[in-house]
Amino acid sequence: MSAISTDMTSITANPLDTGAMSAILVPICEEEAAGMIRAAAEAGRRLSISGGNTRSGFGNRVDADAVLRSAAMSGIVAYDPAEMVMTARAGTPVAEIEDILLENNQMLSFEPMDHRAVMGTEGEPTIGGVFATNASGPRRILAGAARDSLLGIRFINGEGEVIRAGGRVMKNVTGLDLVKLLAGSFGTLGFLTEVTFRVAPRPQTEQTLIVSGLEDDVGARAMALAMGLSVEVSGAAHLPESVRGRFLSGRLPDGAATVLRLEGLSASVPVRAEKLTAALHRFGPVSRVEAEASAHLWLQIRDVLPYADRSQKPLWRVSVSPGAGASLVAALRLEAGVDAFYDWQGGLVWMRMEADPEAALLRALIARFGGGHATLLRAGDTVRDQTPAFEPQPAPLAALSERVRQKLDPAGIFNPGKMGA
Amino acid sequence: MSEVIAFLKPRAEVLARRSVIIADLADLLPPECLVHEARELVPFETDAFVAYRRLPLAVALPKTTAEVAAVLKYCHRYGIPVVPRGAGTSLCGGAIPQEDAVVIGLSRMTQILEIDTFNRTATVQAGVTNLSISDAVSPEGFFYAPDPSSQLACTIGGNIGMNSGGAHCLKYGVTTNNLLGVKLVLVDGTVIELGGKHLDAGGYDLLGLVCGSEGQLGIVTEATVRLIAKPEGARPVLFGFDTSEGAGACVADVIGSGIIPVAIEFMDKPAIEICEAFAKAGYPLDVEALLIVEVEGSEAEMDAMLALIVEIACRHGVKTVRECQSATEAALIWKGRKSAFGATGRIADYICMDGTVPLSQLPYVLKRTGEIVQGFGLRVANVFHAGDGNMHPLILFNANDPDEAARAEAAGNEILKLCVDAGGCLTGEHGVGIEKRDLMRHQYSKADLHQQMAVRAAFDAQWLMNPSKVFPLDGRPAMGTVSA
Amino acid sequence: MQTNFTEAQLADPHVAQSEKILRRCVHCGFCTATCPTYVTLGNELDSPRGRIYLIKDMLENDRPADREVVTHIDRCLSCLACTTTCPSGVDYMHLIDHARAHIENTYRRPLIDRLIRGVLVAVLPHPQRFRLALALARLARPLASVLGRVRALKPLAAMLELAPQSPLPAAPAGPVPVEQPVRGRVAILAGCAQPVLDPGINAATVRLLSRLGVEIVTPKGEGCCGALVHHMGREAAALDFARANVDAWTREIEAGGLDAILITASGCGTTIKDYGHMLRLDPAYAEKAARVSALAKDVTEFLALLDLPRLAPQNLTVAYHSACSMQHGQKITMQPKLLLKAAGFAVKDPAEGHLCCGSAGTYNILQPEISAQLKARKVKNIEATRADLIATGNIGCITQIATAAKMPILHTVELLDWAYGGPKPAKLAGLERA
Repeated sequence: MSAISTDMTSITANPLDTGAMSAILVPICEEEAAGMIRAAAEAGRRLSISGGNTRSGFGNRVDADAVLRSAAMSGIVAYDPAEMVMTARAGTPVAEIEDILLENNQMLSFEPMDHRAVMGTEGEPTIGGVFATNASGPRRILAGAARDSLLGIRFINGEGEVIRAGGRVMKNVTGLDLVKLLAGSFGTLGFLTEVTFRVAPRPQTEQTLIVSGLEDDVGARAMALAMGLSVEVSGAAHLPESVRGRFLSGRLPDGAATVLRLEGLSASVPVRAEKLTAALHRFGPVSRVEAEASAHLWLQIRDVLPYADRSQKPLWRVSVSPGAGASLVAALRLEAGVDAFYDWQGGLVWMRMEADPEAALLRALIARFGGGHATLLRAGDTVRDQTPAFEPQPAPLAALSERVRQKLDPAGIFNPGKMGA
Repeated sequence: MSEVIAFLKPRAEVLARRSVIIADLADLLPPECLVHEARELVPFETDAFVAYRRLPLAVALPKTTAEVAAVLKYCHRYGIPVVPRGAGTSLCGGAIPQEDAVVIGLSRMTQILEIDTFNRTATVQAGVTNLSISDAVSPEGFFYAPDPSSQLACTIGGNIGMNSGGAHCLKYGVTTNNLLGVKLVLVDGTVIELGGKHLDAGGYDLLGLVCGSEGQLGIVTEATVRLIAKPEGARPVLFGFDTSEGAGACVADVIGSGIIPVAIEFMDKPAIEICEAFAKAGYPLDVEALLIVEVEGSEAEMDAMLALIVEIACRHGVKTVRECQSATEAALIWKGRKSAFGATGRIADYICMDGTVPLSQLPYVLKRTGEIVQGFGLRVANVFHAGDGNMHPLILFNANDPDEAARAEAAGNEILKLCVDAGGCLTGEHGVGIEKRDLMRHQYSKADLHQQMAVRAAFDAQWLMNPSKVFPLDGRPAMGTVSA
Repeated sequence: MQTNFTEAQLADPHVAQSEKILRRCVHCGFCTATCPTYVTLGNELDSPRGRIYLIKDMLENDRPADREVVTHIDRCLSCLACTTTCPSGVDYMHLIDHARAHIENTYRRPLIDRLIRGVLVAVLPHPQRFRLALALARLARPLASVLGRVRALKPLAAMLELAPQSPLPAAPAGPVPVEQPVRGRVAILAGCAQPVLDPGINAATVRLLSRLGVEIVTPKGEGCCGALVHHMGREAAALDFARANVDAWTREIEAGGLDAILITASGCGTTIKDYGHMLRLDPAYAEKAARVSALAKDVTEFLALLDLPRLAPQNLTVAYHSACSMQHGQKITMQPKLLLKAAGFAVKDPAEGHLCCGSAGTYNILQPEISAQLKARKVKNIEATRADLIATGNIGCITQIATAAKMPILHTVELLDWAYGGPKPAKLAGLERA
C-alpha cells in the first residue's frame, strides 16, 4: 500500500480502492508514488499522468481511472553552477528553476516552450513535464532539444519499481540510453520523479536581424544561407505577413519577417551581425532588434503567440526537413484553409487550420515532401476523438514501439492510448 | 592474459551445424563477401581491445542493406548469434566475436549517399569513416562535429553503436546529439527507418535508444547526420602547469566562468612525452600537466575568449602559454593528441579507461588514479577530455607478462569503480563492451539493469545480437549458460 | 600486442626482429583507413592490421605459408601508407619483407604464377633483356584482350598493356660539361627499367646538376637495386643485387669520394636506403652497406640543398603526385613541391594523395584488377585539380598514370631542368610557359 502522508495535497484516502473515476493522486515523494503505482498495477487501474497539468491536452484523449500528478514532488535537489548541472524533482516549477538559473547567469539552453497560452491551460509547468514532452524552443537548432540536455532520470515503471537511468555527467554511454527513451514519451512509459540536466551560461548579449518582405520559400532560402555561415545563428524563424503583426505589438517592419538571432560575447555578436547582414542584403531590407526586444520576440515565437487565440481551431505542430516546410504549406493551402509560421529554419511549422484538421491530407503531404510528422496539439473534443494526435507509424515500427512500451508498463496503466494511433 | 571476463558458452547446436550455416550464407552473399576459412578468421578475433580474443564462426561483409537483412533473417531463424563490426577500433571489445557467432562487418558499405547543404545533413552508409564525412562536406564549408580520436578509421556505424564522443564534443555534443536518422535492420531482418532530416522524430525516441546500444538492438546500415558550418577560425592554445591539480582546477574555473571553449584536453607528463615523440607538436616538456584549449570564431572572438581563459589560467599558476601560429602547427597539436593511444604503443602495452567524473572531482580522481596504479606496481599516463570530465588513464604494462596483465586489469577495475563512486560513470564514450560488462552492477541496481535488459529484449527476444556484451551474464532473462 | 614465440624461435634474428615489430602494434586500426587495398576491398584481411595478424599467426605457429595467407600478403602494395599513419611506429616494411621471404621459402605457387614471376625476375632487372621484351610486347599487344579473359593470364595481359605503344626513346647523346667551380661529386644510379622506359630522366638530372657544378659519376658494376626481387620475397637475389651495388659505390667512395648517391626513381631509393638493414647480418657488408645507405638521396632531396634561385611564376599548374616510396618509404614530402614552386610552377595536391596509384613495382602486372581500380581513382583525383601536367618522382607511377591520364606526366627533375635552362621536354610539346 502507498505510504500515508499527512500532507494535504496528498490524497490519502485511496481512490483506487473505491474505483472512483478521476480521482487525483498527488504523491509527495518517490516512495509514495511507487506505492500508488504498484497498487494501481495490481488493481488494473489506469492512470493519467501529469505534472503541472499545463500540457495535458497534448495527445489522444486518455481514458483513465485516476490522475497521478508529480506536482507535489518539488524542489531542486542539487545545483552546482560550476558544473553546469542541476538535479530537480519532477514536479519543480519551471519558473523556480529559471529564477535560480538567472541568479547564476545560466539558463536552460533548449528554451522550453510554455504551452499554457496556446492550449488555454492554467497552472504551473513543471520540469518533469518539460522533459516528458521534450518541449524545446527556438534554440533547438543550435543547442539541441530538451532530450539533449537531459543527463539522468529517476522514474517509476509500470510495475512500481524505481528505476535510475543516466547520471549527472555530460558524457555517459554506460548501458542503454533509457533517458532518451523516456524523454518525449508523454508519460506513457514511466512516471518521472527526478531529472538531472545540463544548463548553459547565459549569453552576454543577443540581437535579431530581420529580413522583410520575403515569400515563405525565399525566407527558407535566407535561413538556410544563414545557418550555413559561421555566425552561429541560435534562432531562425519565418513569420509570414499574416502573423507578423502579432509579434512585438506590431513593431516589426511591414511585410513578412524572416528573423535570425545571434547570441554570445559582447565582443563578437556585432561582428557576426555585420557579417550576416552583408550576406542577407540580397534577399531584402535588413533591420535589427537589440537585447530585450530580441529576447521578447523569441519568447513569443517559442510560445506560438499568434495562435494563442483562446480558440479550439485545430493547431498542428509539424516537424519536417527545413527545406520542406514552405512547400508543404503551399501545397496544403491549395486544398485547405491554413495559417502557418515557421521556426527551426523552416523545419518546425505551426499550422492553425480554419476548420477541419485535414489530418489525412496533411500527413500525405508530409510523406510526399520527404517525411516527418504532425502532432495535433489542440482541437475541439469531437475532432480530437476522430484524429490520431500523433503521426501513425509504419506497422513494424509501431509494433516495435508497442513491444518497448510493454517492457516498461506491462499492464498498460500509464496514459493508455495517449500516443497510440 | 589470463581471462577474467567470461563469454557466453557457444551454442552447441550452432557449432554442430557450422558447415551447413556457411553453405547457406554462401547462397546469400557474393563469394568475396563471406570469410570462413580458419586462417582468414583469425584477424577478426579481436578489435582494439586485444586482451580478449574469440574466433567467429564466419564473417559476412555485405554491400547492401538487403544483404545485411538477409543474413540477419537467416541467423534469427536458426538461432545464430551475430556480432556487428565497423572498423574494429573499439577499446572495450565491442566487436570481439564468439565461436558461435557470425560477424557482420560493414566495411564494404562505404558510400556517401547524399550531401544536403540546404538542410545541413549528410546521409551515408554505415561503413563510411567519421573523418571522410567531414572531408566530403568540407568544400561546402561544413563539418561533422563528433571527432573520436580514431576518426580517421572508425565508421559512423560504430560511432552510433558506441555513441562516440571526441575532443570537440564539449561544444557540439556527442553522436546522439548529431544524429538525425538511421536505417536499422532488426534482428529478424525487418528494415525500419528512425528519424530523417527533420529535427525531432515522432513517437518514442528509439533513435536515442539505438544510439549507444552497442549492436544489441539491430544493425544500422545508413545514417543521416547533422552538419555544422565550419567556424571562421579555430585556435588551440597550450597551457602548461606545474601540477595536475592546478590544471584540473583551471578547467573547472574556465567552465564555471561561463566560457565554453570547443575543447579542453588534458595530458600529464608521461602522456606529453609520448605524444611529443610521435607528433613533434612542440608540447612543453618541462611541465607536469598540459591543457590544450581550443577556441573558435572570428579573430576578435577568439582574442576575447582567450584573454578570459589566460586570466583564469594565471590565477592557477600557469607556467607556459603557447598560442599556435599556423594551421600546420594546429594540425600537429591535434595530431599528437589524437594519436595518444597508439603512440603509447611505442613504449608499452596499455589498457585505456574511459570513466567520466563530475568536474569538481577531477583533481581528486586524478590523484587517486595515480595511487591505485602505483599500488599495483604499474605506470599510468593520463590524456583525456577535461572539459567534460571524461578521463582516459592509460595503464601501461607488458602484455607478454601474464602477471602484469592481470594487475593492469585489476587496476583498471579499481579506477572505474572510483569514477562511479565519485558521482560519475564507467564509460563516457568508448562503451561497455566486454571490458566493463561485469562492472555494470557497480553503477546500476538490479532493477535498473533489469529494466534495460527488458527493453533490449523488446528488440531481440532471443538475445542473438552481440550477446556477450554490456549486460552481466547472470540475471538475464532466458539466457544461455556461462562458460567456465 | 601480446606475442607467443618460444626462445628457440627467437634465436632466428629475422623472427626476433618481427617479434619486436609485432609487440609495438596496439591493433588500433588507424592503418586500415589509409591502406589502398582496404579502402578498395573493405576486408580486414586486406588491411595492414589484418596482414600483421596473419603474419603473426603464421610465424608464431611456425607454419608454412598457405594459399589464404599468400592471397592477402600478395595484395599488399608495400606502399607503406600504413607506416606513415601508424602512431605506434610499427615497422611494417620489414615485417612484410620477412613474410614475403617466408612465403618464397615455404610456399609453392601455382604453375602460371611461378612462370610469370620467373619471367619478371629474369627480364625486368636487366636492361638489355627488358628492351628486347618491350619490343616484342609491342608486337604482341593485340593479344592482351584475349589473355585478359582468362583469370590466370590477366597478368600477361596487364604486362602487354603497360608496354609503351610508341618506340622507346633513345638515350640522349654524350657527356655534359660540368660548370666550374665544382660544388660536389655524386654517383647517380643508372638502374634497370628506368633507362629503358625513359632515359630522359637521368639525362635531365645530369644536365641540371652539371650546370649547377656537380660532377656526376656512374660507377661500373652497378645495376638493379634489387627492389623488384626483394618485393617478391627473393631475399638471396635481392641481397646479391645489393652487394653488387655496394661494391660498385664503395669502390667509387674509396677512389674519388662521393657526396651522395643520387636516385631518380624513389622506388629504388627506398630500397637503397635500406641496404644497411638488409645486409646487417652479413659481417663482410654490414658496415659498407650502412655507409651507402647513409649517402643515398633522392635527387630532389639533394637539389633542395643547393639553394636554387627562385624563378618568376609561369602559367603552368602542376599536379604533384607523391610516389608512395617517396612520401611513405622515404618520408620526402616537401622538397619536390618546394623545388617546383621555386622554379615558377603552381603546384596542386590532388585529393587522397596518400593513396597508391596501383603501380607498386610489379603490382600492376601481378594484381591487375586492384591496380586498375587504384589507377582510376588516382587519375580521377589528379584530373580534378585541373592542372596542366603531372609531376612525380618515380618511373613506375609515370608508366602507370600515363596509361590513363589526359595530361602529360613527367619526372620532377625534367621540369626543373627545363625551368633552369634545359630543353623543353618532348612530352610538353603542346604547352606554353608564361
